[in-house]
Amino acid sequence: MSDVTRRTFLRRTGLIGGGLLAAPVLGACGGGADGGPAVTSGAVTINFWTHDPGYVKTFTESAKRLSDAPNGAFDYTVKATQADSEALVTKMISQGAAGTGTPDMIGIVISVFPRVMTGGIGKQLLLDLDSVVAPVKDDLLRTSPYSIDGKLYALESDTCLSVMYYREDEFRKNDIPEDVGTWEELAEIGARLHKKTGQSLGTVATGDNTSITNAFLQLLLQRGGGYFDQSGNLILDSPEAVEVLDFMAKGVASGFLLSLPDPYGAPNTAALKNDKLIATVMPNWYNVYGLQTNVPEQKGKWRIRTLPRFAGGGHIASNLGGTGFAVLKDKPNTAAATELLKQTYLTKEGQLLRFQQGGFLPTLKSLYQDKDFLDVEDAYLGGQRLFDVYTPASEDSPVFYQHSQLNVLIEALGGPMLETLQGKKKPAETIKEAVAAYNSKKGN
Amino acid sequence: MPSAAGRRALAPYAFISPFYLLYALFLVVPIGIGGYLSLTEWAGLGTPLWVGLDNYTRLFGDGSFLTAVVNTMLYVLFSVCVVVPAALLIAQGLNARGLRGRDFFRLTFFMPVVLSPIIIALVFTLFYDREYGLFNAALRGFFGWGGIDWLGEPSWAKVSVMLLVLWRWTGYLTIFFLAGLKNIPRELYEAASIDGAGRVHSFFNVTLPMLKPVTAFVAVTVMVGTAQILEEPMLLTEGGPGEATLSVAMFIYREAFTRQQLGYAAAAGVVMFVIVFLIGRAANAVFGVGRER
Repeated sequence: MSDVTRRTFLRRTGLIGGGLLAAPVLGACGGGADGGPAVTSGAVTINFWTHDPGYVKTFTESAKRLSDAPNGAFDYTVKATQADSEALVTKMISQGAAGTGTPDMIGIVISVFPRVMTGGIGKQLLLDLDSVVAPVKDDLLRTSPYSIDGKLYALESDTCLSVMYYREDEFRKNDIPEDVGTWEELAEIGARLHKKTGQSLGTVATGDNTSITNAFLQLLLQRGGGYFDQSGNLILDSPEAVEVLDFMAKGVASGFLLSLPDPYGAPNTAALKNDKLIATVMPNWYNVYGLQTNVPEQKGKWRIRTLPRFAGGGHIASNLGGTGFAVLKDKPNTAAATELLKQTYLTKEGQLLRFQQGGFLPTLKSLYQDKDFLDVEDAYLGGQRLFDVYTPASEDSPVFYQHSQLNVLIEALGGPMLETLQGKKKPAETIKEAVAAYNSKKGN
Repeated sequence: MPSAAGRRALAPYAFISPFYLLYALFLVVPIGIGGYLSLTEWAGLGTPLWVGLDNYTRLFGDGSFLTAVVNTMLYVLFSVCVVVPAALLIAQGLNARGLRGRDFFRLTFFMPVVLSPIIIALVFTLFYDREYGLFNAALRGFFGWGGIDWLGEPSWAKVSVMLLVLWRWTGYLTIFFLAGLKNIPRELYEAASIDGAGRVHSFFNVTLPMLKPVTAFVAVTVMVGTAQILEEPMLLTEGGPGEATLSVAMFIYREAFTRQQLGYAAAAGVVMFVIVFLIGRAANAVFGVGRER
């Protein structure tokens, strides 16, 4: 350092260091990196955020097919970011506030969607898909969970039809008919079975509020009730809600239903493994993510059927869960991302691919009559033809109406509901208490 | 252009300025923004709407927040009254002369701190399960009875969270006490022994007074840390059943990231800051942190 004094050296390094520190700060304040001309054809990299590796697989494969198609406008590359569903939405909102770094497409889990319904977030960030789905609107099975003020902002990825999974071998061994007509009959059979063998024919959750209320919501929707109506009014305070909660509480008391802290966790797996739980009401995805993952050794022993009806009425199926895929608006890749979403979710080829790649049920009604689906047999379910069950289930499944304050209701309902399931509180009292708590908290 | 003397006078400030810039950027500015947000209604996008003290008024009438404050106080009490003494006793045991496998025990006690919270949650959920859990199985094995609904019964759920806190943090705190014990001169024990003091007397008259600075540090950090408890109740019970294990930090998280009420969450954050600050100051005063022995 013959020409550079120590002081000069320190000054220069100080300036360089200061510059390095200032650059990201100024960059963050500048924003606008999401701008630029819209990509209408050619090479495009889609920033794709999801919580589920199954969707990465599906969209990557779909993008490849579209890129290889002779008339395809885009040459897609899917850059996937996988993280927790809550974190993805948090990150999207933060990036939206920063004005840069939002994804081109994002999968929003149904229970997280109320967050984007708040404060106009969805309307500011997401593309209104009404015009995209217009040609097939009447054929779409579920739009209400991802609609804000009547406009659709995400496409359902999976119809999430709830059916009854049951162990055929155990049912046969215990002389339980596989086609029991009503829940009330099955509850009697279940109580007798539990007394005799200690086995149960379903579960209720006693852990966190979401788990506690999910089991209830599933049966409530089946019974014909719900949390909110189409206009967003709370409809929980209903005879159906009291009836379903009473049914669950009595089921727990008789042993017909097994109470577990987490319907998907280790205790549930233990109950499945040691044949204590031999039937359960779960959506279609439970086959792959619940049974095949946790009890692969029970391959061939499980079957599915539509749900027994409640004597008072209702549907033969229900639904639980789901993920809506949304496109971020006003971005260079918005058109390309919309096209990818459309081709993956609104065509038969895309739906078949999704079903084959991740087991996601079709979201178009017409495909429940399509031969390519009707012929599908499931080896884990003993070679059962799945759509012999899912087709009638899709024709008689309830509608779930989303609400921005859904999480407030779940918190209001969880505690009292648990007390009812533990036999400490009457169902009607619980419903009244939850409604009162919701009304006092919803403004917070 | 400043004169040479002026440049010389400014030079030291220029050299220390990066710290203050970063301090302002990452601490003062966020705190200021948090304070401002607490006076607004904001979902995370768009312009915050000024609501003055409304968030604070609502907060003190919100049953969930009050539940969270009470729960957090219980966790703090438990940590100070049970976890800290347990750590001290274990440290005393590990400091015993002639103990074999001391490093093994230290490693074992420290292990919970380095384990992933996700793994801890998975394992403990199974331990606590009413039907298949280890704890109930052990109770059944030893006493013929073990039907505790650890995570489903509100009061037992609180106990479950506290036991997890005990398991997770006692070993970590033991390290501090062990370091303190190593620094107590042997001569003091010898002198006490000559004066006829037994083990118990030595513990109360030599060990405890000599460990006062360490105990004060541990107690204050535990109080402040537990007042912000989030991981244990979130991973084990998600604040449930109902809101039986909800902590203030969880309440803030819930308001901000499941309800998008960032202004309201910021107000709760400000209140939590005030509570933690007051606890810290009170503990400092009681334990005399930083004072000479």
